[in-house]
Amino acid sequence: MFNRISGVAVNTFRESLRDRVLLALIIIAVIVMAGAKVIQPVAMGEAEKIIKDLGLSAITLFSVLVAVLVGGRIVYREVEKRTIYLLLARPVRRLEFILGKFIGLMLVLLVSLSLMTIGFYLVLLITRVRPEPRLLWAVVMTVFELALLTAVAVLFSTFVTPIASAVFTFMVYFIGHSTYLLKQLAAMSPSPIVKFIALFLYYLLPNLGNFNIRGDVVHGAPLNPAALLLSIGYSIVYTCTLLLIAIGVFNRRDF
Amino acid sequence: MNVVEITKIPPKESGWLITLLPAVLIIWGYVGVYLFQLAIDSTGRGRGERQVQELAYFPSGVALREVAIEYREVFADYIWLTAIDYYGRHLETDRRYEWLGHIFEILTSLDQRFIGAYHFGAITLAWDAHKPAEALKLLFNGMKANPLNWQLPFDAGFINYMLIGDYESAARLFQVSAKMPGAWSLVVRWVPYALARSGDFETARQMWRELYNSTENRKLRELIIRQLRWLKLEEGLAQIQEAVNQFREKEKRLPFSIQELVFRGYLKDIPEEPFGGRYFLDGDKVRTTTPPSRQAGDI
Repeated sequence: MFNRISGVAVNTFRESLRDRVLLALIIIAVIVMAGAKVIQPVAMGEAEKIIKDLGLSAITLFSVLVAVLVGGRIVYREVEKRTIYLLLARPVRRLEFILGKFIGLMLVLLVSLSLMTIGFYLVLLITRVRPEPRLLWAVVMTVFELALLTAVAVLFSTFVTPIASAVFTFMVYFIGHSTYLLKQLAAMSPSPIVKFIALFLYYLLPNLGNFNIRGDVVHGAPLNPAALLLSIGYSIVYTCTLLLIAIGVFNRRDF
Repeated sequence: MNVVEITKIPPKESGWLITLLPAVLIIWGYVGVYLFQLAIDSTGRGRGERQVQELAYFPSGVALREVAIEYREVFADYIWLTAIDYYGRHLETDRRYEWLGHIFEILTSLDQRFIGAYHFGAITLAWDAHKPAEALKLLFNGMKANPLNWQLPFDAGFINYMLIGDYESAARLFQVSAKMPGAWSLVVRWVPYALARSGDFETARQMWRELYNSTENRKLRELIIRQLRWLKLEEGLAQIQEAVNQFREKEKRLPFSIQELVFRGYLKDIPEEPFGGRYFLDGDKVRTTTPPSRQAGDI
């Protein structure tokens, strides 16, 4: 079973690496980070903060784009090109196929994230900003945010077109960063029904705000290890749940 | 001639003009774009001013916070650059800073830990925009979000001490600042100054110098240099005025000139006029030839 999953994963990884979108996004991300050098003379003493903010945000934004754009068509492409028949005719179960696709895409994301992080640290060195290792925590948390988001993209990819998948995944991404508003609504509303619905949605929808610690690492605020560990646990459980749903949906499809 | 050679169609030779035409058109296209942009810019407000006007549509930073999702800090950095541009442009032109407070309010709502923004925003609001109350509001918001930061209560104390003249509040804020981690050791020294309500020039100069050394912000440093020059002018005026008052008391008349004050020993020497002007006597008052607009703006 593991051999079959790793087979699909390695193939997905190789295929995605050939994707021009991926290369373009990595190059643009590094260019954006290097753009901070231009800002340096006009930043009036705040260049260090701006360079760090811009670099870490570019890493997150472009990784999210990779996850959404590449992840959104990962399963659909196999169906469209009819290569899925070849795969499923072999002794590869649908569960193994989905897990292989997810792991393959995560490997792609790890590689692109690593390249962008190396680019970011090079920009820090060029702009003579202290390359603190602490900044890496923000990247680590981005990995777990991406895992969850990739699972969302893979889930959508099992039943809708790549464009629809990208739109839906972006919506989940946007909502995932605004779920705290639901909690505020629950606290403010006098109606018990509104309270219940708001809280239900708050716990049901992914809370991607859990993974954003960029402000903390840039401003040098103390990090809460318990919160970090819990957020990692949240990502793992949520991702597994979404993958189970994706497998369920994919199992029901007729080819 | 074989069949292949007969069926071969010789390629059309394109003239050099045809080859160059796209490049020429592209260059002319860019020239056209450049001319249009020049014309657009000359019609009135530039992009910078429009950016600030756009910010006015947001009653506060709360709306922007939601739109910016996890990129609030980057949005705040962008607004920081807009704020610097807005301040610099108005400093060089009309010295009216209508939107400065609003810009910093939005900026600090997006990144509540952006200490540099509170610091620069408060000092420019207080001294250049002449809005010390707005400056204090900005600093108090910052203190709520950053209760362990020493710079913000210090700045609030500084504004109370230098501009508002509320020495009790200044002393209390200096005390709060001194207790925070990383505070300047000098802060604690200013508590008794504030309590004694001593507004002497040397203390003020020392405070401005400390602020100067603590920042890398070029615009803020320029503001501090202006304030130090203004302080020197005020000190010169006060010195001569005191000499005039002593002269009148002893001689029962007004001096003919400032030189007479030096000649008769009431003044050691004529203090330097920091803006390149000249002190003169206007009845019993000492004045300078430097116009007030220059005192406020020139470095």
